[in-house]
Amino acid sequence: MHIMEGFLPWQWCLVWWIIAIPFLVMGIIQLRSMIKKDREYLPLLGVCGAFIFILSALKLPSVTGSCSHPTGTGLSTMCFGVFITSIIGAVVLLFQALFLAHGGLSTLGANMVSMAIMGPIAGYVVYRLLKDTSVNIYITVFIVAVVADLVTYITTSLELALAYPAEVGGIVASFTAFFAIFAITQIPLAIVEGCVLALVFKYVIALKPELVIKLKVFSEEQISKARKNSNSLPETGVKV
Amino acid sequence: MIKNYKLEITTIIVLLGFVAAFLMVSSGGTHEFTGSDDIGSDKIAELTGVSVDSFAPLIPQYEPPSGEIESTLFALQASFGGLILGLVFGYWLGQRKSMPAS
Repeated sequence: MHIMEGFLPWQWCLVWWIIAIPFLVMGIIQLRSMIKKDREYLPLLGVCGAFIFILSALKLPSVTGSCSHPTGTGLSTMCFGVFITSIIGAVVLLFQALFLAHGGLSTLGANMVSMAIMGPIAGYVVYRLLKDTSVNIYITVFIVAVVADLVTYITTSLELALAYPAEVGGIVASFTAFFAIFAITQIPLAIVEGCVLALVFKYVIALKPELVIKLKVFSEEQISKARKNSNSLPETGVKV
Repeated sequence: MIKNYKLEITTIIVLLGFVAAFLMVSSGGTHEFTGSDDIGSDKIAELTGVSVDSFAPLIPQYEPPSGEIESTLFALQASFGGLILGLVFGYWLGQRKSMPAS
């Protein structure tokens, strides 16, 4: 989903940067206050960030005959919200722009909006909708991860379509063309990502259920129920 | 027993399905598995009628001198994530083990 350096007109680069900056500012404020309040959250933040680092480095082949990479933002979105996720996403995208020529500094705003902002927002909306329902929490994690991943690529398609409308059919035709390139390729990868993140979440609540409860990601009952149904989880001696 | 590992088994099945789909598609021999980013860039070139090489960076950018170095840097990125993951899960596991069971 990386838009390469020089591939967006400067006016569009500016627009996406202007949209991205408030999220980054809010993210820094939230991150500082969270660290000040309780440093116990830092390892979980590390896990969420690590997953974005790992998954966005893996260019996986897809059934469309092209390669793409998962985004891994779903877990962070559920645990820490959109603003903090935007910071983690921005760090990953900055690394790739500076050292890998993957994306660029001028297009960093656009890439942040798609991967670190719009994907997480969509994932967060789905998470809020499913959070207090009877849906199994692992299925919720799966759906959040899939939606965050797919919306990232849909946003990239839109960003490119807005900058490069087709001569015939305009923005819609252009969006359809980019959607076919990015989003269709992404569907199987998003499903794999969803399964992996659900599995990771299972191990997070096996080892640190109290953190997930403190962050109010899910209620104590939901976590207890999920742990009860997964007897393979190590006994911790901690009441949940 | 199987019920306890339902999520693990599901993930393995999905991964196997993914690998099978890749093998099926790649055995056709008509796909190059280019990055979708590159295909997207080609599409921009097609829409604008300007070749991909003509898009000059707005901000000068470092480019890995070869594909090998690029893949090293990608591996470095992934290993950095893996290192943090291993550290945190190891730390949590150690914490749990040192806790007296109630």
